[in-house]
Amino acid sequence: MGYEFHKASVLIVEDNQPMIDLIRSVVETFGFQNVYTANDGEEGFEAFCKYNPDLIISDWMMSPTNGIEMAHKIRQSNLSPNKYVPIILLTGFSQKKRVIEARDTGITEFIVKPFKAGDLYKRIENIIENPRKFVESEDFFGPDRRRRKNVDFQGPFRRNEDTSSDDVTSPFEEEDQVYKEIMKQQKKIEEEAKKYNDPLIIAFKNNNDKKDD
Amino acid sequence: MPNKENVSKARFYNPPNILKEKVGSGGLARNILEQAQKLLEENDIDFEPIAMTYMDALRRGLDHAYNPSPHTTRFELMEGLIHPIMQLKANGGMFDYPLVSRIADKMIELIEGATEPNEDLQEIIQAFHTTITAILHSKLKGTGGVKGDNLYYAICDACDRYFKKHKREHPYYG
Repeated sequence: MGYEFHKASVLIVEDNQPMIDLIRSVVETFGFQNVYTANDGEEGFEAFCKYNPDLIISDWMMSPTNGIEMAHKIRQSNLSPNKYVPIILLTGFSQKKRVIEARDTGITEFIVKPFKAGDLYKRIENIIENPRKFVESEDFFGPDRRRRKNVDFQGPFRRNEDTSSDDVTSPFEEEDQVYKEIMKQQKKIEEEAKKYNDPLIIAFKNNNDKKDD
Repeated sequence: MPNKENVSKARFYNPPNILKEKVGSGGLARNILEQAQKLLEENDIDFEPIAMTYMDALRRGLDHAYNPSPHTTRFELMEGLIHPIMQLKANGGMFDYPLVSRIADKMIELIEGATEPNEDLQEIIQAFHTTITAILHSKLKGTGGVKGDNLYYAICDACDRYFKKHKREHPYYG
C-alpha cells in the first residue's frame, strides 16, 4: 500500500492564482483531498491557525507578507497551532545566499521553480521518511539544517544511483541537504550551459583551470 | 559554523511526525507521479498576462533604479530589478515558456553579480525587457529552437561583455 495522502491536509500559499491551481492539481494527483489555499503570508498564517494543516507549500515572494515572514511567524508565534509543521518553500532563487536566508528562517525544504512533480514529491517523501530534528537556540528555532538518513527506508524509487555520493547520505555522515541541493542545481546549470557554449561558464572553467595549473 | 558556546546552548527536539502518522508508508506509485508531471506539462494557462505584470514591475524597477528617491538604498534598487526577473524565471518554465526561464536565470546571475545600477547594466536590462516582450508577443513557447538559442546567446554575450568590463563585480572574472 502506498502513502494515504487523503488522510492528511496541505496549505498552499501563493499570490499567483494559476500557480495555485497547478500546485493544487499536482498534490491532488498525489492523493491529498484536504487542500487549503491562501494568497500571501498573512492570509497563509490565518489559514494555518484555522485549519492546522499537516504540510505547507509556500511561495517566497509575496506581498504584503512573504513566505519567509510567514514561516518565521509559524515557528515563533504563540498563536501558532504547530510550530513544527513542515514548510516547503518554492522560489525562483537558486543563489546560495538566498537559500541560506530561507534555511535560517526555519524552512524545512526548498524547491527551485520551475520544478517537476518529482521534485515536489521528493521533498514530501523526505519530510515523511527522513524528518529533521528541531533545534532551539538563542537565535534560531527550526529544523536542524543537517539531516541524518533513515536507513530503514526502502521506498519504491530506491535505486543504486539514489545512494550515490550526492544523495542525502550515509547514517554516519551528517550533510547539509540544502547546500547539496544548491550544488546539484549549479551542476545542472553548468551542464545545460556547457551544451550551448555559454561564455560565462567557459570563462569560469578557464579560470578554474588556471587555478589548477 | 556555530561556535562551541552556541552549540552547547542549543536544544534538540524530535517533533512528532504527524504527516507520517497520517499517510503511513509505501511511497507513491510511479504512474501517479507521471500523471502529476503530465498535468504540469500540459496545462494550458496563458502565461502572457501573468508575465506582463512582472514586466511592468521590471519597468517600474528600472525607472526607480535610474531615478532613485533620496532615501532609497542600493539594496532596494537592486532588489526592485531582481524580483520581477526572478518571477519570470520561476513561472516561465511552469507555463510552457522555458526560454523565458532560461534567459531570466542568466539575468539574475548578472544582477546578483553586479554591485550597482550603472548605465551598462541598465542597457542590458532594457535589452532583456525587449527580448522577453518579443518572446511573449510572438508566443515563442518551449525552448524556441534555434531562434530561442540565438536570443539566449545574445543575452549571454551581453553579460560576458559586462563582466569583462566590470571584472571586480563577478567572482568568475575578478
